[in-house]
Amino acid sequence: MEEKLELYEVEHVADLARIELTEEEKEQYAINLKKLLNEVEKISEIKNYDEELLITPVEHTVSLREDKNESGISFDKVKKNAPRTSGNFVEVPVMIHE
Amino acid sequence: MNKEYQVTAGAEVHCELKSNTKMFSDSNNHYGTFANTNINEIDFAYPGVLPTVNSYAVELALKASLAFHCKINKKMHFDRKNYFYPDLPKGYQITQARSPIGVDGYLEIEVDGITKKIGIHDIHMEEDTCKSTHYKDKSFLDFNRNGVPLIEIVSEPDIKSDKEMIAYLEKLRETLLYLNVSDCKIEEGSMRCDVNVSVSKTEILGTRTETKNVGSISSAGMVVMVEAKRQIEELERGNQIREETRRYDEKTNETVLMRVKEVGNDYRYFPEPDIPFLVLEDDYIEKVKSSLEILPDERRKLYLEKGISLVNANKLIQNKQLSDFLLGLEDIDLVIASNLLLGDISAYLNKTEKGLTSTKLTKDKFKELVSKLSSGEITNKVFKEILNDLMETDSSTLEIISSRGIQTISDTSYLTELVDKVLKENEASVLDYKAGKDRALKYLMGQIMKESKGSANPSLVNQLLVEELTKR
Repeated sequence: MEEKLELYEVEHVADLARIELTEEEKEQYAINLKKLLNEVEKISEIKNYDEELLITPVEHTVSLREDKNESGISFDKVKKNAPRTSGNFVEVPVMIHE
Repeated sequence: MNKEYQVTAGAEVHCELKSNTKMFSDSNNHYGTFANTNINEIDFAYPGVLPTVNSYAVELALKASLAFHCKINKKMHFDRKNYFYPDLPKGYQITQARSPIGVDGYLEIEVDGITKKIGIHDIHMEEDTCKSTHYKDKSFLDFNRNGVPLIEIVSEPDIKSDKEMIAYLEKLRETLLYLNVSDCKIEEGSMRCDVNVSVSKTEILGTRTETKNVGSISSAGMVVMVEAKRQIEELERGNQIREETRRYDEKTNETVLMRVKEVGNDYRYFPEPDIPFLVLEDDYIEKVKSSLEILPDERRKLYLEKGISLVNANKLIQNKQLSDFLLGLEDIDLVIASNLLLGDISAYLNKTEKGLTSTKLTKDKFKELVSKLSSGEITNKVFKEILNDLMETDSSTLEIISSRGIQTISDTSYLTELVDKVLKENEASVLDYKAGKDRALKYLMGQIMKESKGSANPSLVNQLLVEELTKR
C-alpha cells in the first residue's frame, strides 16, 4: 500500500494554509505530501558535520554598512499594505490574553 | 527559606545598542519619536529587500564582549529564528544562534566583601521586534523599535542569591554605561531582563523557570527570592516543577504563570542566507580593544589606592562625568579632589542644573585649585567663596583670589600670637600632644583656624603650631 498522511494531518496543514480542500483533494494530498516529506527526510541522511557551514554560495565576506541614516518611508505608504491601521499604528487582533 | 535547597539563577539581558541606525537597515534608531516614523522597506520585510549589517552595532557588541572578557568569534554568521507573530513582519528574527560574537566571558561581583566571578555564556547580536500596545480586543503596532540592534548577554547559572543577582545586573549595567554601548534604561525598555531560577537538594540542577521582562534590578533580586520560595514549597508538597514562563507582579511580590513551555518549541533556526560570513580581523579587534574606556572596576581600584573612601569611590563611579573629569588627573590629591567634586561642585551643578562639561571649570583650573588647597595656600572657606567664579569665568584660582581681594593670613607675628593664645586656652590638649596623641594636634589646629575665622594660612599655622609645641 502506498504511504500516505492521515487525513487529519492534511486537514491541519490546509487549515494553517487557509485553503479549503475537497475530500478528493485531501486523499490526493495525503499521498503527495507524504512523498514530498520523504524526499525532504533524505537531507538528514547527509553526514556533513565536519564541513564548514554553507551560508551563501558566494565566497566574499559581508561588507559592513556605515551607521548613517539614508532612507525611510512614510507611514502613508505602509498603510497601503496594512489591512487595518489606527492613527499612526498598524492594528491587529489582540495578541495576548491575560 | 528551607536551607536544604541550593538556589541557582541566571540572567538573560537584552540591551539596545546606542547606534544611529538599525541593525540590518539604515532607518533611524531613536527612542521616543512619533510612532512608525523610523521605518523603511527592510523593516517591513517588503519583497526583495536585503539586510545590511550596521558596522557600528558590530563595534558596540565587540566592545561589550571584550569588556566582559569573552573569547571573540572571528568568523561569524547570523541565523534566522522563525516564528509567526505580528510583532515580526519578516516571520523570523535575525540573531546569532550558532556563532555568537563573544563566548565564555565573565564579570566580577562583590557581595558581602566576597569577590566572585559570574560566567557569561555568550553575547550575541540580534534585532529587536516592534512594540505592541494592547487595548481590549486589539493590538497596536509601532515598528520604530523593529530592527533596533540588540545584544543579548546570557549568564551561566552561577548566581546563588538575590544579592548576587542584583550585584551582577548592577555591574553589567554600570559597565555598559561606561562603554557607551547602551542607555540601559529598564523603564524605557533599552535594557530588559529575564531571570531563570531553579532549586535543588543535590548537585544536579533542578528544572528552571523563566521570569520574563523584570521591571527593575531590585525586582530581579526579588524574583530570585520569591520564585525559589515558590518552587521549594511546590517540591515540599510533592509536586514537580514544570518548565514554564512566568512574570513578576510587583504589587503582590509574586511570580505569575504566563505559559507552560511546549515540548518541541522549535524555532527552526537556520543560517541567514542573505548575509555572508562576518569576519573580524585581528587588527580591527585590537583597535576596538584599545579604544575601550577605563572600566569602573579599574577606576574603583585606583580611587581606593589613592585613599578615597569606598562610599565616595562608588559615588564617583555612579556619576560618570565626575569620574571622567578625574581621568588624567591621577597625580593630584584625589581625596581632596573627590571631596570637592562630590561636595560643593556637585551641589553647584544640581542647583544650576548644569553638566560639569558645560561649566568653565577646566582640568587645569581644577588641578591648580586642588594643589592650592592641598598646600594650604587657600582654605576651604576661600574655595567656597570663589566657587561660582571658578565655574562661571575663565579666570584661574589665583586670578580670582587676587581680583576679589581674598587673601589668606600669612602674617607670622599675628599667627604666632594666635597659636600662643589657643595653646594657653587648651593646656590639656598640649599635654595630650606631648603624650603622643596625634589627634590633639588636629584639634588645636582646628581651634586656631576657627579663631582666625578660616582665613589663616593652614600650612603656616601647622608649621608654627608644631614649633610652639616643641618649645613647651
